Amino acid sequence: MSRYRIPGKGRVDHAAPVRFSFDGRSYMGLRGDTVASALLANGVHLMGRSFKYHRPRGAVTAGSEEPNALIGTSRGKGRAEPNTRATMQELRAGLVAESQNRWPGLGFDAGAVNDLLYPLFSAGFYYKTFMWPRAFWDRLYEPVIRAAAGLGRAPGEPDPDRYASRYLHADLLVVGAGPAGLAAARAAARAGLRVTLVDEHAEMGGALLSDPGVVIEGRPAWDWLAAVLEELRGLGVRLMCRTTAIGYYHQNMIGLCERLTDHLDSPPETAPRERLWRVRAARVVLAQGAIEKPLVFDGNDRPGVMLAGAAQTYLHRFGVLVGRRAAVVTAHDSAYFAAFDLADAGVRIAVLVDTRDAPPADLLDQARRRGIEVLAGHSVTATAGRLRIRSVRVNRVRDGQVAGGRAIACDCLLMSGGWTPSLHLFSHTKGSLIWDAAAQTYLPGETIEDCHVAGAGRGLWGYGAVLADGDAAGVAAASALGRAAAGAAPAVAHDRTGSGEAQRELPSDMAPSLARAFVDFQNDVTAKDIRLAVREGMKSIEHVKRYTTTGMATDQGKLSNINGLMIAADMLGKAPPQVGLTTFRPPYTPTTFGALAGYHRGSHFELTRKTPIDAWAEERGAVFEPVAQWRRAWYFPRPGEDMEAAVARECLATRASVGIFDASTLGKIEVAGPDAVEFMNRMYTNPWSKLAPGRTRYGLLLGEDGFIRDDGVIGRLADDLFHVTTTTGGAARVLTMMEDYLQTEWPDLRVWLTSTTEHWAVAALNGPNARKVLEPLVEGLDISNDAFPHMSVTECRVAGIPARLFRLSFTGELGFEINVPARHGPDLWRALMAAGAAHDICPYGTETMHVLRAEKGFIIVGQDTDGTVTPADAGLGWAIGKAKPDFVGKRSLSRPDMVAPGRKQLVGLLTEDGAVRLEEGAQIVDDPARPLPMRMVGHVTSSYRSATLGRSIAMALIENGHSRMGELVHVPMPGRTHRARITGTAFYDPDGARMKL
Amino acid sequence: MQVTVEELAPVARFSLRVRDKGVAAVGKALGLTLPGRIGERADRGDLAVLCLGPDEWLLTAPEEARAGIVADLAGIYARAPHSLTDISHREVGFRISGPAAATLLSMGCPRDLDRLAPGRGVRTLFDSASVILWRDGPDMFRMDVWRSFAPHVRSLLEIGQQELAAGL
Repeated sequence: MSRYRIPGKGRVDHAAPVRFSFDGRSYMGLRGDTVASALLANGVHLMGRSFKYHRPRGAVTAGSEEPNALIGTSRGKGRAEPNTRATMQELRAGLVAESQNRWPGLGFDAGAVNDLLYPLFSAGFYYKTFMWPRAFWDRLYEPVIRAAAGLGRAPGEPDPDRYASRYLHADLLVVGAGPAGLAAARAAARAGLRVTLVDEHAEMGGALLSDPGVVIEGRPAWDWLAAVLEELRGLGVRLMCRTTAIGYYHQNMIGLCERLTDHLDSPPETAPRERLWRVRAARVVLAQGAIEKPLVFDGNDRPGVMLAGAAQTYLHRFGVLVGRRAAVVTAHDSAYFAAFDLADAGVRIAVLVDTRDAPPADLLDQARRRGIEVLAGHSVTATAGRLRIRSVRVNRVRDGQVAGGRAIACDCLLMSGGWTPSLHLFSHTKGSLIWDAAAQTYLPGETIEDCHVAGAGRGLWGYGAVLADGDAAGVAAASALGRAAAGAAPAVAHDRTGSGEAQRELPSDMAPSLARAFVDFQNDVTAKDIRLAVREGMKSIEHVKRYTTTGMATDQGKLSNINGLMIAADMLGKAPPQVGLTTFRPPYTPTTFGALAGYHRGSHFELTRKTPIDAWAEERGAVFEPVAQWRRAWYFPRPGEDMEAAVARECLATRASVGIFDASTLGKIEVAGPDAVEFMNRMYTNPWSKLAPGRTRYGLLLGEDGFIRDDGVIGRLADDLFHVTTTTGGAARVLTMMEDYLQTEWPDLRVWLTSTTEHWAVAALNGPNARKVLEPLVEGLDISNDAFPHMSVTECRVAGIPARLFRLSFTGELGFEINVPARHGPDLWRALMAAGAAHDICPYGTETMHVLRAEKGFIIVGQDTDGTVTPADAGLGWAIGKAKPDFVGKRSLSRPDMVAPGRKQLVGLLTEDGAVRLEEGAQIVDDPARPLPMRMVGHVTSSYRSATLGRSIAMALIENGHSRMGELVHVPMPGRTHRARITGTAFYDPDGARMKL
Repeated sequence: MQVTVEELAPVARFSLRVRDKGVAAVGKALGLTLPGRIGERADRGDLAVLCLGPDEWLLTAPEEARAGIVADLAGIYARAPHSLTDISHREVGFRISGPAAATLLSMGCPRDLDRLAPGRGVRTLFDSASVILWRDGPDMFRMDVWRSFAPHVRSLLEIGQQELAAGL
């Protein structure tokens, strides 16, 4: 047993030693320790080097607000984490911990030279030093600064751990399981609420874990705690330890991060490391307590200097003495109790310095009885020691005058500047903060959320007060939800009440320019830096923050903000609320990317939709491409083929004989009801009244602005039933738009819309032999050209499967689209492949589909249109029912700028050199010889190599394109500018004879 | 934590849309009263009808009942216009059952499942996929997922089962 561990004391398991290593050296701790408590038990205070000056640092707290003791932890390959808080990381067997920001070692660190250069690195250092020469910034300054910046090393390997997420609903969520949170949870649970209680620590109890001497409801604190937790469990309260409330979002949505395995010696194989909870709570009680403030004096960052409350926690929770000879400096009563507890545990209290002139008499009395020397009206002006404090310099202060100091030997210095209510989550709600001039602190004001702050979080002090407040908060939550609740404010004996006074830097006889009095430990900001920032013109705390970086570290200034504010306000001669307070933002403490990503990684990164034919295509060796949420077969390469070769072969085979294409992803909407035709007339540009059942028509959908939104072939199956198809990516959007109009504009229409996209699997057969393949499989229907002409639709059976059969063509060849219920898709596909074998049927993918349609000049909405293209621009004026009284977008089409000359119009483009394929998106100019910047008259929308035509083809949007047929334009591309001639868009079979075979 | 996930055999599924006076007529043709509030369900034998919207119901029945339902409703179309769309193949059904069923669902479903009483059903989300979630019993749920989303949903449920098996 080490000389700093008290046998049998604390909540650690003295019978369960745990071995771990720190900086390569093996240590022994106990089950229940944190890394920090275990190191302290071994007499190790030096745990890291500071960010900027590489100053030796030790743990200053015992909680998540720790700014100094940030270490690297690892558990094998890929499982490394930088900046783990040693004060929060529980000990596990075999834990490998390393200090950070030091080279070659923690004891001797070359970077500590920065500390000697301290006068150079003042506030605003970057802005002043790296101004010029300008060219040096990119090549020298920024790379060097970036290399020096940052703390810890991000792991370079993929994270092999799993991360989980869940939703949770509660009537009441209580954040913080200290006395106030426990009392709130108990009162609410007794009233029958569904309660969740969370705490970031390994066990619940909060401050009670560090104050076992308090007696609540007749029981010692720890017995009371155990009884309450037992009762809460019995009442069905969800108790979550190791769970940090990271953010408070709109309408009482709170994000929790639960750490599941980092404390385990060997986690179960499939267990997630962390779980993100999205909690929707009807009411929230924030009982996060208060965070102790450091005091600001020269050398307040030396290892061995820590918060008094932290020393009390190490003593009671972990049975660890942070030193054998402690000095105490305080501006608050609470440090007296820490001193008394340490003294009672055998620590020699070398001195207790109180910055106040008149500490409470009862505390002085208790100190005297323990033989503790109290120096009231004194200041601490310096500490000494290299890697650990060895003495503290104490000076008497009278009427603002600092007398000469004397050094008092010590091996630790416990400080308390009072307590700051923890308002981070409350701030996330955009709740207002109110400055309490008496307590010199911000307190929670109004918030729009159903949220209540209880206990020390709203400035109360003493167990009796916070327990009563928590109880009242629980009762209030129950009442708000209509449950009768009886309050039961717990009676408290041996309470520890108290108060204090707020301090700026402690008075000193040292020249301010020499004092290294730290305000922000994590970002190495001193009181001098803040005063300098104000002198240099920073008037708001937001400016001071950015100029000095105070409060900008990962702890978001949990320890430093109020001290920084008090110093800035003093320098400005203003009250603190006039200087402001910086905004807290989620997350409360640093959160892993893994927790935020949850299950969305690897193959589950994004939902991927697959068609019924997908498995066949995969087996066939298809290369896939993402289209909206779908993955679609892109092309089917044969051995040795690249994409270009495969696509050329697929195109030629389809035009020569027959190709088969999976069109299942096309959006499908069933429009049914007596007013279906009226609805179609109003939505689409085309006229529908005269379309006979059994016939189909190309439909064009505009937005109210008159621009093309979607298109597709639409079949009329009966007088009151249309089968609408949409683009793959537009399916959901089109249905939503239709529903919007139906529900808000035309609720009188008796028509209903149902998405049937996924009810049908669709195989498209195209090519001169398409009918030969299909005919033998069709039952009860003559599909000859006369009986079933182009643009027909009917219901029949194909390969024994009930089908909706369309005759249409997106390729320019004789084409059919066979829709069968999705589960039968693979059967249909196999039947068609078998029947097509005699005709060398060729499966093709989306790329070949694109080429074939471009050869015909058929547009793809979203590729050849961009939301600013009218039907006339796209050459689709023929699709407008001119006799119709109205349709969506009709009025916009007659706006002056929609009919004005100069609009970009869709045309074909043929390069003079047919071997050149233009880049899609390439800009088009009339005369490349003009000076830059040159006027661009359009851009290429689609461009392919056409195997059928033996040259490249392209489509483009060009100003006044329709009246410029035959003219030459120029397309600058990397390397050279190409000449191309404007043409019509139908490059192949312009009369459409092949579709009508 | 015990939970089982099974893919269910195909059933006949229809989306039924009807309003005003047609509601009663359609109910009569189906031999039940169409439930009037979203989330409510009515059953007659193997036929289940779930109210999903003010004028929207989901019908499920054994596959062999399909033709009968279509014929029954076609018979009243003239006086009670409605839309009866076959969506049998649009969705795949999963049964999630066991003491940890609700916990498993909470990994992807943002709804408060405590508030979904047995015998009710709702349209909701499971990890960005739109689903119909039926609660058939305290520990028994059914989830209808659009076919193309089903592999993603299924594999997330499997990850969730492994997570539950790990016990953390």
